[in-house]
Parts: sequence; C-alpha cells; structure tokens
Amino acid sequence: MSGTISEEETGETLFGVNVIIPALQSGTITNEYGFYSITLPQGEYEVYYSSLGFGTKKIEISLSQNINNDLSLSTNTEELDEILIKVDIEKLNIRNPQMSVNRLSSATIKEIPVVFGEADVIKAITLLPGVTNAGEGASGFNVRGGAADQNLILLDEATLYNSSHLFGFFSVFNPDAIKDLTLYKGGIPARYGGRISSVLDIYQKDGNNRMFRASGGIGLIASRLLLEGPIIKEKASFLVGGRSSYAHLFLPLFNNDSKAYFYDLNTKVSYNINKNNKVFLSGYFGRDVFSISDTFSNTFGNATLNLRWNHLYSDKLFSNLSLIYSDYYYGLELSFVGFQFDSGIINYNFKYDLAHYISKNIELRYGLNSIYYKFNPGDVQPVGENSGINPYKLTNKFAFENAIYLDGEIKLSDELAVQGGLRLSSFNRLGQDELNIYANDNPIIYNEDLNIYEKANPIGTESFSRNETIKSFANLEPRFAFSYQLDKNASIKASYNRMTQYIHLISNSTSPTPFDIYAPSGKYIEPQLADQIAIGYFKAFENYSFEVETYYKEVKNRVDYVDDADLIANNAVEQILLNGEARAYGLEILFRKTEGNLQGWIAYTLSKSEQRTPGRTEIETGINNGQWYNSAWDRTHDISITAQYQFTNKWTFGANMIYQTGRPTTYPSGQYVYNYTVIPVYEDRNSSRLSPFHHIDVSATWTPKPESIRRWKGEWVFSIYNIYNRKNAASISFSENTDTGQNEAVRLSIFGIIPAITYNFKF
Amino acid sequence: MKRIVLWIILGILTSCEDVIDVDLNTSAPRLVIEATINLLEDGTATSIVKLSTSAPFFENQVPIVEDASVKITDEIGNIFNFVYVSEGKYESNLIPQLGLNYSLEVIYEDEVYTATEQLYEGSSLEYVEQRNDGGFTGEEVELKAFFTDPAGIENYYFFEGLSERGDHLDAYDDEFFDGNTIFGLYLADDLTSGDEVVFNLYGVNNQFYSFMYVLLQQTGSGGPFETQPATVRGNIINETNRDNFPLGYFRISEISTLTYIVQ
Repeated sequence: MSGTISEEETGETLFGVNVIIPALQSGTITNEYGFYSITLPQGEYEVYYSSLGFGTKKIEISLSQNINNDLSLSTNTEELDEILIKVDIEKLNIRNPQMSVNRLSSATIKEIPVVFGEADVIKAITLLPGVTNAGEGASGFNVRGGAADQNLILLDEATLYNSSHLFGFFSVFNPDAIKDLTLYKGGIPARYGGRISSVLDIYQKDGNNRMFRASGGIGLIASRLLLEGPIIKEKASFLVGGRSSYAHLFLPLFNNDSKAYFYDLNTKVSYNINKNNKVFLSGYFGRDVFSISDTFSNTFGNATLNLRWNHLYSDKLFSNLSLIYSDYYYGLELSFVGFQFDSGIINYNFKYDLAHYISKNIELRYGLNSIYYKFNPGDVQPVGENSGINPYKLTNKFAFENAIYLDGEIKLSDELAVQGGLRLSSFNRLGQDELNIYANDNPIIYNEDLNIYEKANPIGTESFSRNETIKSFANLEPRFAFSYQLDKNASIKASYNRMTQYIHLISNSTSPTPFDIYAPSGKYIEPQLADQIAIGYFKAFENYSFEVETYYKEVKNRVDYVDDADLIANNAVEQILLNGEARAYGLEILFRKTEGNLQGWIAYTLSKSEQRTPGRTEIETGINNGQWYNSAWDRTHDISITAQYQFTNKWTFGANMIYQTGRPTTYPSGQYVYNYTVIPVYEDRNSSRLSPFHHIDVSATWTPKPESIRRWKGEWVFSIYNIYNRKNAASISFSENTDTGQNEAVRLSIFGIIPAITYNFKF
Repeated sequence: MKRIVLWIILGILTSCEDVIDVDLNTSAPRLVIEATINLLEDGTATSIVKLSTSAPFFENQVPIVEDASVKITDEIGNIFNFVYVSEGKYESNLIPQLGLNYSLEVIYEDEVYTATEQLYEGSSLEYVEQRNDGGFTGEEVELKAFFTDPAGIENYYFFEGLSERGDHLDAYDDEFFDGNTIFGLYLADDLTSGDEVVFNLYGVNNQFYSFMYVLLQQTGSGGPFETQPATVRGNIINETNRDNFPLGYFRISEISTLTYIVQ
C-alpha cells in the first residue's frame, strides 16, 4: 500500500504523518514529499493516519494486491479513539533508530515569542537542547559545540550560505512560506553530507492547490504577504511570498538619508503531472541593504533556484531529482575612499535520491550528489573619477564535490531496529590562476626569535587550467544507528556518524557575519573530519515525552587563525591558518508536552566545546601554547523553557525563558603606552567569559472573532522581549575614554526590553 | 581602509553602550620600548627611546623606567649612547643613513634587549583638501592629506593627524594604490576654522605596518566583528630571557610633516 498524504484545506503534502496498522503493530511515516509505502500481508485491515495538529483518519482496506491510497487530513477532523492511536504513534517514534533529531512545524515556530514579535526559525531552534545562538542579535547557530559554518542549511534542498538578515536580527526564512523543518544534531543519515555538525532541512510550502489564499502580517519592523492558489485545480499551484523591513530601521542615530533594510522573496510552482510524476520549481531571493548618506553602501544576500522532479518507479520505489543553483553575494561600496568590493560563492548542485521500500522491515535510501563551486573571494574596483584605488582581484577558486550513498533501515525484531549507511564523498580542487608556491610548501613561518607566526613570501605562482585537478580528497563516511525498545513506551538508541566538510569559513569574528568568506580545501588546507557518537534514552508518557542524550564529538583539521591575523581581502588565507583539532561533549535533556491547552518544552544542555592548535614542531608554540582552549561557542549550561497556553479560543499566551553560560572571550590583562596610545595586553585566547546570557519573553495572541465564518481571519500578537530589561553583553570593549583619559570596559548590549505588536491576517 | 569598514558597521550597531565593572586578570609587568628615529626632510633627525612598563589595565598611569642603559650601534662601528632626559625618555644625536643596519641594545634589570633595524624611505605630504560635508554623517569637517606613492615597489606608511580635537593614526599598505596619489584621512568631532592639524607620514616596512595595523584595531575596537585579540609582538627580543619578551618597537623612518590650519 502506498500513497501521498496531503492537507485537506490546502492540498499541501504532509511530512511525518504516521500510518499505523494496529492489528499488525506496524506502521510507517511519510517522507519529505508526503509519500509513504508499506508492505503488508494480504488481508483486511484498519489503517489510521495521524499527525500532530491534525485529526486522525481511519480507513478500512482489503488488501489483495498493491493499492494506492492518497489521502488528505484535516485540521478539523473529529478525533477517533484518541488514546489508542496516540500510544501507537509514540511507539513508532520510540522504535525509529533515528535519534538526535528535532522537528518543528511552521505553526510551532509562530507560537514562540521573539524579539520584535517576528516569528523566526533560527530563534526557535536555539530553544532546543544542544543548540545555542552565536551571540545576541546573531542569527547563526551552533549545534553540539560546533561552529556555525558546520551547519548544512537547506531550503528546499538548496544550500544557503548565510542564514541572517540585518547582521543577525532576523533569519532569512519567511515563516509564512515554510512548511516545516528538521534539525539533525547527530546520527545524521547518509543522504546528507558536506557539513560536520548538523543538518537543518527546511521545506517551503507547495502552494494551496484547492483555492486562492493570502496571508500576511504587519509588524513594527517588517511586513509580509504570501499569496498561494491553484493554477489548475488540484494539479498545479503557485506560491509567492514577500517580506520587507522598513528602511529607517536602527538608524534614528543618523538624522540623514541612511538606510538599513532587508527583503526576501519566496516563490514556488508545483505541478502534479499524474500519479507518478510531480515537478516543483522553487526560488528564493533575499538581500540586505545598508547605506549611509551616499558614502557607504553594503548589499548582500542569497539566491537559489531549484527544479525538482518526484517520480514513482513503482509503489515501492520513490525518486527525486533536483537541479539546484545557489548563490551568495556580498558587495560593499565606500565612495568616500573610492572603493568597491564584491565577493561571493556560486554553486550548481545535482542530486538524485531514491527511497526503496523493499519490505515491511527493510527500507533503503540511495542516491548521488554533485556540486560545482565557484568562489569569488573578492574583487576591488575603483569608484568615481578621482579614486586613488587600483583594481585588484583576489583569485577565483573552483571545486567539484561528489558523493554517493546507501542508507538502510531494517527492523530486525519487534524490539530492535538498525539503520546503517555509507557515504563516499570526494572533493576535487580544480585549476585556478596564480596559486602561490612556497618554499617547502610551507605558507606560514615560525619566527623563533619573536615566537610569532609570520606569512611566508611565495616563491612563485602556478596557473592551472579549469579542468585540471590541483588536489583531490576522498573519504568514506560510515553512519550507524540502532534502537532497542525496552517496553511499550521506552527505548534506548545509539548512533555513530562520520562527516566530512570540504569548505571552511574564514571569519575573523565569533559569529557569522557577511564578511565571511568560504575557502575550499586544497593544497594547503585539509578537509574537516568529524566523528560523533551519541547514546539516548527515550520515554513517552500519555501527553509528555522525555528524552535524554549524551554525545562525544571529535573534529580533525579544524583550522584556527594565528594571533593578529588579517582576514579581510586576504588573497592567501593559508598564510594565517594553523591546523588543529576540536572536541565537544555534552548531555541533553528534553521534556516536552505535546497535547492539551498547555504545550511546550524544557530543554537543558550541559556541555563542553574546546579547540587545540599545537605547534607543528617542538619549538613552535601553536595557539595558546598548544593547550586546549574553549571554543567561542562553549556554553557550560544552557536552559530553555518555552510554553504556549490556550486560555480561551480568543486568547493564547506564550512565554520563553533562556539562560546560558556567558560566551568565552579574551580580556586584557594589562596595558601599556606606545606612540601616546593606550594598548591592551591580552591574556590567552578565550580564557574569560562574558556574564551569563538570559532573558524572559512573553506574548499574547488575540483572535477577535475565532468563530467567524468570513474568509478574512485576523489576529493580534502582543509581545515583550526581555521583560526585565536584562542588558546582555554582545561584547565588551576595553579602551581609553578620550575625554577622561581613564581606561574603561564598555559593554555593548543589543536588545533591552522590546515591546512589539504585529497584526497577522489570512483570507 | 579595511578598518574603516569595520568602524562603520560598528557604528550602526553601537546603540546601547554602557560602562561596566569587569574583574580582570593581571599579567606580570613587561618592559615597553618605544625606540623611534625619525629623519626629517631638512636632514635633521630626532632619536628618542622611551621606556616604561606595562601596568594593570585600569591603572591611571604606566610606570616609567629611568635607570636603564640604552645604546645604538651601526654596522660600521659607530656607537650612540642615549642619555636619560625625563619622563622615561632617552635621547641621542643619531642621524640615520640609508642602507645601514642599526642595532639597539637596552639593559634593564640585568636583562638585555636587542633589535636591528634600518631606515625606510617615505613619501612627501603634498597638500591638504578640506570638505565641510564629510565624514559618515555628511556634516563633519574632513581633511585629506595627499601624497604620491612610488610605482612598482612595495611601500608601507604610518600616518598621523594630530590636533587638540583628537589624534587619528593609520597604517597603509600600497597594495591597492601602488603608484597613485592617495590621501590620509583626518576626522575629528567639533573641528572648526582656525584649528591647527599636524600631519605626519612615516615610511615603514611590512613588519611595522602589520604591527601598527593590529595595534590600532585593538584600541577602542571590539564589538561583534572583533578579531581574536592577542598581545602584539614587536621586533625587540629579550636575549637574556626569551619568555620575558618586551612590548613596543624599534623603528627608523623618513618623516614628512605638513601643518594645516582649518579654513
């Protein structure tokens, strides 16, 4: 029996719907495209279809041959035999070997109060255990002690390189256009690769194929509008969503014509050609624009375009082909110095994935993936007639990344299920112009007199044709997971994964900012390799679930910058990088209530994340004398509580509480005067911490006419971020106050108490 | 110029700042050597070595060093003994010559500190351009002091704009403006007609440029775009005890000076 499950009202396919046959104590879950397939003995069965937030549907089937059962679920369906079903559903999750995974629906994300009242995908996932934010106002996130560039962020399968708007005040995902997201923190299936810490897999809605709908919101900072509807009823649909902030944002300081705003556009067209074929064309375009009175302007953002074809070879073999273009652009113009700087990364991605439902107990996934990269690290151009700047091009770099994988999930017995996979990945650094050559292939020299690292002078350069391979890497990435059911409602799971990452983020700061430039592995930079093991205990109660996991992760070839490295517009980053290692371990607890008027979760993480960059010889000091030091995303304690309470059908309340150990940082340990200027003397890297980061946020949602049968439905969201006005330090800078001559520590805090009001509508 | 970009971005975000108390660790004091020999365009020179030690960060003053022995030897055997004057300053009558190596030796608390340097050529400051609608806000007085970079050779500069209204220091690498006429920028709050601004342009080498570039980033910067800060090492070595390294730098430069009265 196979089919596709969709939502009654919109025709949107549903991911993660449970398909249960109680008589056989068996079931399955729909995939990212709403497809399911299950093999059963001949006979007559009751089949239950159920998903959180939707009613449960029961059908009776008589199975004597392969049948197709496409079905739609409604949010309004009356609930059937609720208790029985719930127990079965939870058992499915308990039995599935996939661990270290969190799924959030668009509806859940929208219920969480956030700064400025704007629902935000990344702020929502940082409330989960094992996920922290990169600093206040930073949209990047860190998973299990990993760096922000180690997260694979996929929007409709297209890779995004920057997840933030307005230097992290918003994330780039329009919550209205998103169907749901899955975050893999460990036990990552073999179909994903290319980043070593996590996978954030986000799917956009397909567009309503039943009727035309509009939704949107008007807020203090940004407004949004989403239109969707059928092109051909129940066959083809479109979705267009736009979002923009207002241009004056953050700039009351400058009373002149300065601008700071962002916009983004989500589009998608879906077409059901027939039962066995569906095509999707989706696109995303987002930009941030800053400008200050014609002297300075800065534009950056992602663009993706993605064509996908779902094809059913048979009831048991589902396939998806994706052709993806993805582009990240960063531009800067400084007209008062006559200077324009452009950089970016472009990639073309081909993916072919198959899901093979072989029998009731065996499910295979296999496929391949090829990515071609073009890196533009920077292009400097003069601007204006009197510019004293010479054009200067940082050398473009090219690479080709390939992978094939096989992943199988096998139920060995009623208690034991295993998932095993293998991914073979390779990376070819392709020919480029002017690759530096160094004496002894050593781009960074240790000065024994001064005990510092210095850039080596290239002894020449070498140019290659574009289809030559300068350097190639290949890695086998085994993935393994199992679950063992202890009783009806509890299981233990364990997993191991090896991941490889061939591109490195070269960033001078501790949070991802648009200054970031990706560098591919090659002659001087090795790929990052991570091994992670995790063990967990999962328990389901009637309305609650409880999960506890512990993990240990080791990363090889984690590069770090030598002291005083200059990263901006650097054409030879190999001259400032040293190869090191990283490790992280922790304990995560998640207690979640998923039913009833009060829903939410409590998440606690105890963890450690460290880095070590030893010298290459006995004389060299490395970084911090080769000792382990805290990585910038080390957080000993991280507690998040989020709750939503449906008070009446008109009022819903929400609250968050977040507490995190302060971020590691480097403070001065003294001062001296040189050239009549006060200069700090610094302690070892990351040996101090900022004060703890915490805040409480509340929100109230008022639906004036919940029973209204008119098409127009509106709601007001009132929210207060950081209700006790905690001044969380984003950073502390140490300098001389030029008026008093006294040295000071100045705290920069980004958000104090922020009340906000948003009006959301749907028709 | 790269640093200017950082400053602008910081400017946008720096909306809620306050001064707080922070408990800092204190490292052992180190000797600070500011050995600077400037060859002026008229052929005269100033040769001064300032000695002090580092101090806890929140102290008001850094201690000066009065009892060290300071000398410079050139590679043809001339010895220049530096005499203590006041406020940690030691002076001599050295006039540097192109192409000669000069070796500095400071003896303090029985430890010997040394460095070797030579004279680096600079460029002449030519003229100053004033705009009254300059700066990032378009309302500040902005001064540009122009000079011409010699084409085809690597040059590095250290630039100062000094006035009662505030000092602006910068370090330049000619990578992006080789052979062009370019300027050092001076901006200060409340700069008004009649104010005197002194511009100095020093010829330096790559090592001093990198030293000064990082040092300037560490003075008053910070914020979400900060580099990992670390104590900056100059070019002076403690021969007696390598771990007790000194701070500061030994530099020999050609200097071009231009004084401008704000119109």
